[in-house]
Amino acid sequence: MSLISAYLKKYRVAAVAALVMMLIELAVELSQPLLISKIIDEGIKGRDPSVVWMWGGVLIGSALIAFIAGILSSFFASHTSQGFAFDLRDKLYERVQSFTYEIFNRFAASSLITRLTSDVSQLQDTIFMSLRFMTRVPLVVMGSVIMALVVHVKLGLILTLTVPVLAVFLYWVMKRASLLFRNVQARLDGVNGVIQENLTGIRLIRVFVRMSHEIGRFAGFSENLMRTTISALRLTETTMPFILLIVNAGILAVLWFGRLEISTGDATLGETIAVINYSLRTIGALSALSWIVVTFSRARASLQRIEDVFAEGTSIPDTSSSSEKTSLIHSKPIQGRVEFVKVGFCYPGSDISVLENISFTVSPGERVAIMGSTGSGKSSLVGLIPRLYEENSGAIRIDEIDTREMDISRLRHAIGYVPQEVLLFTGTVRENIAWGDENATLEQIQKAAVAAQIHETIQGLPDGYETKLGQRGVNLSGGQKQRLTIARALVRNPSILILDDSTSALDAVTEGALLEALKEMSCTTFLITQKISSTASADLILLLDEGRLIGSGNHKELMVSSELYRTIYKSQLGEEVQHV
Amino acid sequence: MFKALLEPFRHPRPVITLAEGKIGLATGRKPKSKAKDWSGTLKRIWNYLAKRKVKLALVLFMVVLSSLLSLLGPYLVGVAVDDFLEGTGGKLWGVFLIGLSLVYIFNSLTSWLQNIWMIEIAQETVYRMRTELFSHLIKLPISFFNRRQQGEIMSRLTNDIENISSTFNSSAIQIFSSILTLVGTVSVMLWLSPILTLLTFIVVPLMAFGMRWITRRTGPLFKERQKNMGELNGYIEETLSGQRIIKAFSQEERVITGFRERNERIMLSGYWAQAISGFIPKLMNGLNNLSFAIVAGVGGILAINGSITVGVIIVFVEYTRQFTRPLNDLANQWNSLLSAIAGAERVFEVLDEETEAKDEGAAKTLETVEGEVEFSGVSFSYDEAGDTLQDISFMAKPGEMIALVGPTGAGKTTVIGLLSRFYNPHKGQITIDGHDITSIRRESLRGHMAFVLQDTFLFKGSIRDNIRYGRLDATDEEVEEAAKLANAHSFIMRMPDGYERMLATDGSGISQGQKQLLAIARAILADPAMLILDEATSSIDTVTEIKIQEGLQALMKGRTSFVIAHRLNTIRSADRILVLQGGHLLQQGSHAELLRQGGLYSELVAGGAK
Repeated sequence: MSLISAYLKKYRVAAVAALVMMLIELAVELSQPLLISKIIDEGIKGRDPSVVWMWGGVLIGSALIAFIAGILSSFFASHTSQGFAFDLRDKLYERVQSFTYEIFNRFAASSLITRLTSDVSQLQDTIFMSLRFMTRVPLVVMGSVIMALVVHVKLGLILTLTVPVLAVFLYWVMKRASLLFRNVQARLDGVNGVIQENLTGIRLIRVFVRMSHEIGRFAGFSENLMRTTISALRLTETTMPFILLIVNAGILAVLWFGRLEISTGDATLGETIAVINYSLRTIGALSALSWIVVTFSRARASLQRIEDVFAEGTSIPDTSSSSEKTSLIHSKPIQGRVEFVKVGFCYPGSDISVLENISFTVSPGERVAIMGSTGSGKSSLVGLIPRLYEENSGAIRIDEIDTREMDISRLRHAIGYVPQEVLLFTGTVRENIAWGDENATLEQIQKAAVAAQIHETIQGLPDGYETKLGQRGVNLSGGQKQRLTIARALVRNPSILILDDSTSALDAVTEGALLEALKEMSCTTFLITQKISSTASADLILLLDEGRLIGSGNHKELMVSSELYRTIYKSQLGEEVQHV
Repeated sequence: MFKALLEPFRHPRPVITLAEGKIGLATGRKPKSKAKDWSGTLKRIWNYLAKRKVKLALVLFMVVLSSLLSLLGPYLVGVAVDDFLEGTGGKLWGVFLIGLSLVYIFNSLTSWLQNIWMIEIAQETVYRMRTELFSHLIKLPISFFNRRQQGEIMSRLTNDIENISSTFNSSAIQIFSSILTLVGTVSVMLWLSPILTLLTFIVVPLMAFGMRWITRRTGPLFKERQKNMGELNGYIEETLSGQRIIKAFSQEERVITGFRERNERIMLSGYWAQAISGFIPKLMNGLNNLSFAIVAGVGGILAINGSITVGVIIVFVEYTRQFTRPLNDLANQWNSLLSAIAGAERVFEVLDEETEAKDEGAAKTLETVEGEVEFSGVSFSYDEAGDTLQDISFMAKPGEMIALVGPTGAGKTTVIGLLSRFYNPHKGQITIDGHDITSIRRESLRGHMAFVLQDTFLFKGSIRDNIRYGRLDATDEEVEEAAKLANAHSFIMRMPDGYERMLATDGSGISQGQKQLLAIARAILADPAMLILDEATSSIDTVTEIKIQEGLQALMKGRTSFVIAHRLNTIRSADRILVLQGGHLLQQGSHAELLRQGGLYSELVAGGAK
């Protein structure tokens, strides 16, 4: 809740204005039964048409005022809620961007999208509605009771008596309902989980002939959902008939006592009617209640999900003690000497160590090839260099400085990174390459494209470097996209280049040409690969298995020292011969 | 302060091209999509509901009753005012009050019963639809799932069903009772005082006019907002899935700026859409107040003239409120009904898909299978156009390893699909141990096969349960035995909870190679006579493949195996290699024989072509 009030603060004037407008409307509505009692008592009973005309005119005039107030409140409420949503989305997105990669991965991307869009919209709608309707319910009830007491104390008391009964009942219902609906949601998630699993595993289920097993499982979940839904809805649907009963009992009592009071002259006909009218208005207001309960419980869930995001810690703080050092280092460009000293790493929240005791040193301009099976820790190893993740033990030094003591943006600016999965953004070819360096000239962009072996392909595209990519644009092949992402990294003129299995879709000739071009760029290169053809010329080969370095050295050395390396070499020998 | 008050009105006014608005009560919320075949869909929904005909009839009866009673209540209050409060006469006051309290009690009771019963009917119906849809879906031919996106099927099972559910719960009854109430109020009003009724009807054209004014503006505004929202969604998706790149290139500032621009566009279109659509309830309120004023003012004059009584005014005051509300409700409920019908139609579309053909009546169950497989003159095509497979004949003896090679589209996977009877051959026959497979029950046939596929699927559950999926009644010892044979035992034991380690659906936390080992263990546990490895190792890198070879060897031992692999070095040891191209079986023989023969196989080996 504090989150909401913090973000509403900026719009408090408009929010209060919206509430004031609503109060004006409310005042008009609550005055109506009072005025009609005057029409009855002074106009009709007193047989005086002028009184009727006068109060009728007042009613029309006040209706007009209420209407104008209502229209204005719409603007104020919309301004408040839209401004609120804008600020919240903005801050939320900034927050997400400030996460370390590690924290970012704690959330599924799809759930972050939901939080940024529909959860924020849910809160926005709730605020809009609160400013206009929801706060009305208690106000109408209270206002009606007060007005009824003003009109006639004794008769008004009867209406007042129903209020505590209603309040206790409603409190109980809401408390129970929110519990029950949470159950319903949990059961619904269960049902959806089974569906999801079955759709993904449909082939397996089919071939193992487990259809009836799955149908039985699903029916169980589905029946559970049905039962909880029925019990939850049963409760909420009891609310309205009960409210009706209580207030109607009140009306009966008002009629009974009203007749007595009228006969003794203590009350007038108009007053009795006014009190009845106030009771009826209470019913009208309360009928919106179940809808409000549902909206609020949804909003609360959305709020919770948004608060979760804000509750997560932000970026690895750049240690303040090192700030002095950083400014000192700032002047010197990074050369690209990389040293791993007994580095160990496991993903946060997991106890399986991904990397153990990794040590090696690379001199500037050298090429390192990393080999190993899927899950052996290759991607994690290179991910540690730009500090996407933080090592748990040991240290990584670049130009003999611990990376944890470096300014993170300076570190990352010196690194060109090409991830395993090809990822391009909506926009032109030029924009995508320039993504690596916003200030790159067209010449620099072309130079990077030439080195990445993609320049010729780009020139063959309909609009050359201005060709649009993505959903409404040209579709490139996997290999072409891969080379574009390489160009994007090269345009930064990096001191350290990381290619995470990003040459897999390239044929041997193109790959050879690329490696040749990289030599000229003289950056320290980390190359994750499965191909013997690209390890053979590397300065250093790291052979990883289950997070341990089981072999390091150049091709010749490993052919002598590593059994596994020889096996891989042999298994690819046939293919090697084919390429020649 | 004053400046802040003016802020809302400083937003730049958008250019609105007015929509061709129909005069109506649309609330700006359009039904999500329109149904195509109305009557057909409604009839089928009815068929579901009809199973609870008696209860449904009771509900309808209760709706009629409660609508009548809710009309009677205010009317009786009017009578009370005229006959008992105004005059002091009326001897039956006590009786009258008892009557009125009965009306109130039954009003609550009937509306309670109608809701309770309707919820039961609705939820049971939805339950039946849901399970029926699921059991149907799971029996649909594999080709159905190839044709469609998973998300789309998922949405039918979840969103569409939910939509139907919530509509059944409330809208169905409300529409019916709104119409009843509307007709009832108008008739009673006309009966009590035609003049006053006509005067209060002034609000109807005003309402229509106002609604048209509003919806013609909100329609385009909401569309604009939707478009901006879509753009923002796309931007978020792109930047979140590209997070690794954004971080590594330290481009956070740039994407935050890009986000803000799109966010601002949403705020602007959202502001106007919400502000103007917010006029609707205010208009309704305003008209309510207006009709109240008319009833009070004009009614007062009429009462002085003696043409109506005070009681009539009281009845009118309450009725005019009851009369505008259902009008508003109807518009809302109507929209949700429309989208529910469209949802039901999408559900029925799935139910209308044909499932795998039923087994022939005389189909038999094979108790034990040796694993001798023979294709003789088998032809097959997916559509009428051209044959996917032509005249395929080969023979596999029990325990043999048969490899299928050939370029993409040669028909390798189709051979497997025919063997497991996902499809039936158009010509020729396939026999297992001499039995034509069309004479064997599908379940029995597949029960004697095990599959290891390219994408290993793991369920949410423990490692033990995932292996046990191969044979549901296997004991813990048998599960572990299978894991040992598959070479999976040692890595499982290294996991924190061993066999009880919980796996997520996406299998995160274990590597691709480990997943494949679990799939092999699962197949070993199933202990089938025949084994199918469809590209089982192709998503695995060479190093991992070397590691799981041992497990595969254990699995294939003593079973007739069919192996599709695109790395030729893995199938050199096959007893027979079938070389397919364009649906024809070009060559068959062992590695050495085929190399000697020359032709496509030696080209494949030499050229590395896929």
